[in-house]
Amino acid sequence: MRLFSRTVARVSLALGTALVVPAAFGADTVLHASRVASTIPLIDPAAPVWSKAREVAVVLQPQSVVVPMNPEPAVTQIRVRAVHNGKLLAVRINWKDATRSETVLSDTFGDQVAVEFPIRADPADLPSPMMGNAGAPVNILQWRAALQHDLDYGDPSVRTLYSNAEVDVYPDQLLPAAVARPYQGAMAVDNPVSRPMRTPVLDQVAEGWGTLTTKAQSRAEGRGVWHNGVWSVVITLPLASTSQDAPNLRPGQKTSVAFAVWEGGHREVGSRKSWSDWTAIELAK
Amino acid sequence: MSKVYNWQIGRQMEYPYEGVRPRRQFGLVMDLNKCIACQTCTVACKTTWTPGRGQEYMFWNNVESKPYGYYPLGWDVNILEKLGVQEVSGPVYSGKTLFEAAPDGEPVLGYLPDDLDYAHPNIGEDDSVGDMTRGAYLQAPHLQWMYYLPRICNHCTYPACLGSCPRQSIYKRPEDGIVLIDQRRCRGYRECVKGCPYKKSFFNPMTRVSEKCIGCYPAVESGRQTQCTITCIGKIRLQGFVSAPDEAREDNPIDYVVHVAKIARPLYPQFGLEPNVYYIPPVHVPPSFLAQMFGAGVEQAIATYRAASQDRKLIGALLLFGATPQIIHHYRVEGSFTIGYDDSGAELVRVPFKEPIFMRVAFDEKYQTRRSNMT
Repeated sequence: MRLFSRTVARVSLALGTALVVPAAFGADTVLHASRVASTIPLIDPAAPVWSKAREVAVVLQPQSVVVPMNPEPAVTQIRVRAVHNGKLLAVRINWKDATRSETVLSDTFGDQVAVEFPIRADPADLPSPMMGNAGAPVNILQWRAALQHDLDYGDPSVRTLYSNAEVDVYPDQLLPAAVARPYQGAMAVDNPVSRPMRTPVLDQVAEGWGTLTTKAQSRAEGRGVWHNGVWSVVITLPLASTSQDAPNLRPGQKTSVAFAVWEGGHREVGSRKSWSDWTAIELAK
Repeated sequence: MSKVYNWQIGRQMEYPYEGVRPRRQFGLVMDLNKCIACQTCTVACKTTWTPGRGQEYMFWNNVESKPYGYYPLGWDVNILEKLGVQEVSGPVYSGKTLFEAAPDGEPVLGYLPDDLDYAHPNIGEDDSVGDMTRGAYLQAPHLQWMYYLPRICNHCTYPACLGSCPRQSIYKRPEDGIVLIDQRRCRGYRECVKGCPYKKSFFNPMTRVSEKCIGCYPAVESGRQTQCTITCIGKIRLQGFVSAPDEAREDNPIDYVVHVAKIARPLYPQFGLEPNVYYIPPVHVPPSFLAQMFGAGVEQAIATYRAASQDRKLIGALLLFGATPQIIHHYRVEGSFTIGYDDSGAELVRVPFKEPIFMRVAFDEKYQTRRSNMT
């Protein structure tokens, strides 16, 4: 908490305003992850297990600390539930979003939500909730509507993005695959946001603004469903970890979790988002 | 924000990072009096770098008609309108740069074009839309005028794309000043697409990250000029390295054209990015229009260009345009030749001031055929 307080103090000073920090550690805002049997499916946001989990409302605030800012975000509150089965922790986030944004063209942006955990869970010395800080890394699991759409309906093609597209030939239709590879741009260098994914969730680590890095091996899974103007997204991660880039969680543990939402229809992307302070989370024994 | 010195506007200005000039700066000069919009440069660039999926409407090099052609649609008039009316007449620019005009919470004044703005490059640009008035005659500047503007990334000294990226995924190489997007770190936020006033960062919807002109760095690294330069059939381009004015070398043809003769001007210097593509302005266009596009000094540039025959070193530099695929680091006028040299001083090319005339008889005895002599 000390480092975070310093960050907030510095930032508040810089802005000349006081940041509104919700009372994250009040009794009402503790997120209880109840324990369920390991045979129960968790990944479907509509699975029956979720109706029994206790819901917590989490306030999101505008990202108005670092440029580019998002002073008037579209989403200011989310409703969160959590369960675990001894091996996996699953978090379900629901928020209202009238526009379902899952196609990414040059002027359109996808809906996204992220769950953040401190990697070293010392409640007395939490990282900054704003993507951690130097020496205090966080694990950020980001679900993207565009990736969900890829998995549900297949990877986009030029024809699915532009129905009237006519193109004579591409390099990979003429050249051997290895020779044509450089013409695939970021996919040729395995950029994790470009290459086809087997999960809609990017498993990432950060130590402050601008440092977000996607891990080579993703441990995160998830699924998001949009229905009647509400996104409902489940993100799961394994509890146990021996990695430096993930929290090592166990039943009975208390730690913290934070959230961020991007409303694609509002052109929110990157640092143009709404974010939450740390919320306490308790994993049932 | 840091204070950096921008020689093109003659003063210090604000920039998100400290001002550190590269050891050498990629530079390109284009003579707009010679461009015919054949698009050979565009095709050379396209086939070399952007024939892939998601790059269908992406032109790192494009040629548009001015004043009513754009790629993407309205790119310059849009940002000029957002910036508002500014005074551009004197050598020291007193108006606001795009960094100084940045709204609260933004790194730079910019805008994100609509996807459709990229959809129709060049369509309708050269259609005639009016008649000459009765009694009109040819005069300079022309009563009715247009010209072609070839554009690539300006590999700016103070790039707005770089200053806009919240992830520092864009970098300017210290060895040649070429500005690149790290294709491994970019996450496709499009802050650079929004921030670059020249709209030379593009979003690829298939890879979901942004891409831009790479200054043909593999060629430049091996001493070769860019594809768009060496394929130019009009020989309007010369690519090499440009110095800051206080370090200009008279024997560098680009420095001579830009800093000594001062006949080539940057594109929209008032934006404050210190772009490193320089244009020799078209002589037939009203100077008031050119002043907005190329800043103060345009009229002097045109006067010097018109009188180029009196400056053999200037003619010598201009003759090196399109004369060799290699990068010319030094040049020398010697007798009736201008000679270009590479970095090590080895001769690359020797161009005569006056092309020799070859005459041949009309009837070819060997093949028993007649040929017409063409000039």
